[in-house]
Amino acid sequence: MPVTSDPLARRYRRLLVCYPRAYRRERGEELVATLLEAAPPTRVRPTARETTNLIGHGLRARLGRPTSRTVVVWAALAAVVCGLFTASLATRLAWETSRPMPDRAEAAAILADVLPGHEVDGIYVPSGLFEMYGEPLSLNHVDLLMFGEGNEYALSATTASRNGPPPVPVEQAAAVAQQRLRDGGWTVYPVTHNDMYSCAGPPCDPTAIPRDTQLFAKRGDTVLEVNLYPQQYADSTYLAVSLSRATPAAVAPAAIAAGLFGAVAGWLLFGWASRRTQAPHPARRAVNVLFGVTMVLWWSPIAFTAPFAVPHHLDAPHPLPHPLWEWLGQPIFSLFLFTGCATALLGLSLAALPSRKAQPRRVAAA
Amino acid sequence: MREPTYLILTALAPGPRYGYAIIQDVAELSQGSTSLLPGTLYTALDRLAAEGLVELDREERVEGRLRRYYRLTPDGVTALETETARMRRLTTAAEARLRTLRPHTA
Repeated sequence: MPVTSDPLARRYRRLLVCYPRAYRRERGEELVATLLEAAPPTRVRPTARETTNLIGHGLRARLGRPTSRTVVVWAALAAVVCGLFTASLATRLAWETSRPMPDRAEAAAILADVLPGHEVDGIYVPSGLFEMYGEPLSLNHVDLLMFGEGNEYALSATTASRNGPPPVPVEQAAAVAQQRLRDGGWTVYPVTHNDMYSCAGPPCDPTAIPRDTQLFAKRGDTVLEVNLYPQQYADSTYLAVSLSRATPAAVAPAAIAAGLFGAVAGWLLFGWASRRTQAPHPARRAVNVLFGVTMVLWWSPIAFTAPFAVPHHLDAPHPLPHPLWEWLGQPIFSLFLFTGCATALLGLSLAALPSRKAQPRRVAAA
Repeated sequence: MREPTYLILTALAPGPRYGYAIIQDVAELSQGSTSLLPGTLYTALDRLAAEGLVELDREERVEGRLRRYYRLTPDGVTALETETARMRRLTTAAEARLRTLRPHTA
């Protein structure tokens, strides 16, 4: 393609990057010439319609399915979901760069500093960063993970609590804790209050439900959560504290890099399978069905979970955002994920079956 | 056969045309209802070439711009004739029924 100083031609040519290099070499100059002839003299940049059209057809050509009207949408669905899952996996791996959860000494020092006069009944230090029912994840948990209890797999925390009557009113304890946290260099998040239980109508009066006091603070890689409860019984818990680690700095770059890698891999794999299974491939219909099933299995947990996760994050302070996989409905819907992996692998295996398809030719090469 | 494909084949029926001329012809034939973008046109030409309905006629350069002219193959002419006959049958049938429905206007 000859170089031109015409800015519109330059912009059109830039859009042609969406097409494969061989296609550009063969058709680029002709395509730009037609675009320039069709453009009114006053046009200085491609219209949105032209841009969308060139990107769509270019990506179709890159996928090797220039005549398919929907292939780009399917490829994008596959690429995005693969990118999200690989980003989630990288997020989990990058969490291993975190320091262990605060030990007893660190937790006791923080509690003595922030909540003076509140003797806790004990400090529990978890054995791992993420736990399921208080234990590091193991093969014993596979059935729980797969069949509906995956939400129990969560970030652990060093916890402490105190039963009995509070030494000072909980409002006063919260105010003192906030002040001491600020003095200690913690970032203190707005206090929130939540009903301790719910009920609907008489004899329960919803306006009389006791409310707890929840306080979050963060300093360095440590996140503190303090819950203060109005006393209901003589030995009920009035104070619960948890200390955990903030999201490590390595998580974001690892997730982005892995997400891009996964998206590209998903795109290329989809393109490969799509090209291989054009008619008259013997397993064409089966591969199409398996692809559809895979997309439903992978996307439905996301479609179900993400709409709840967004308002949940917006409604309450989150010094420690939920890890990416939880936004994708994992591992609570891990059965969907693994079944989708099985259907995807089966589809790819069928796509690898030999085909007697003739290679399409382009008119300019005719 | 989809309407844009039919219009492209119709535009090539009188003789070889280059890209922009095909776009203009299609707009004129459809009375402005079909406005082909170059990306769509060349994808369609690739497909029609793969199906053996159109082929490259010649290349020329006008004011420094490359023009490639395309023409119908004998199979392309047959496909256009077949589709035109099918549409004529449908049109005739529709007109006959409309005459039954509205004898004074049809």
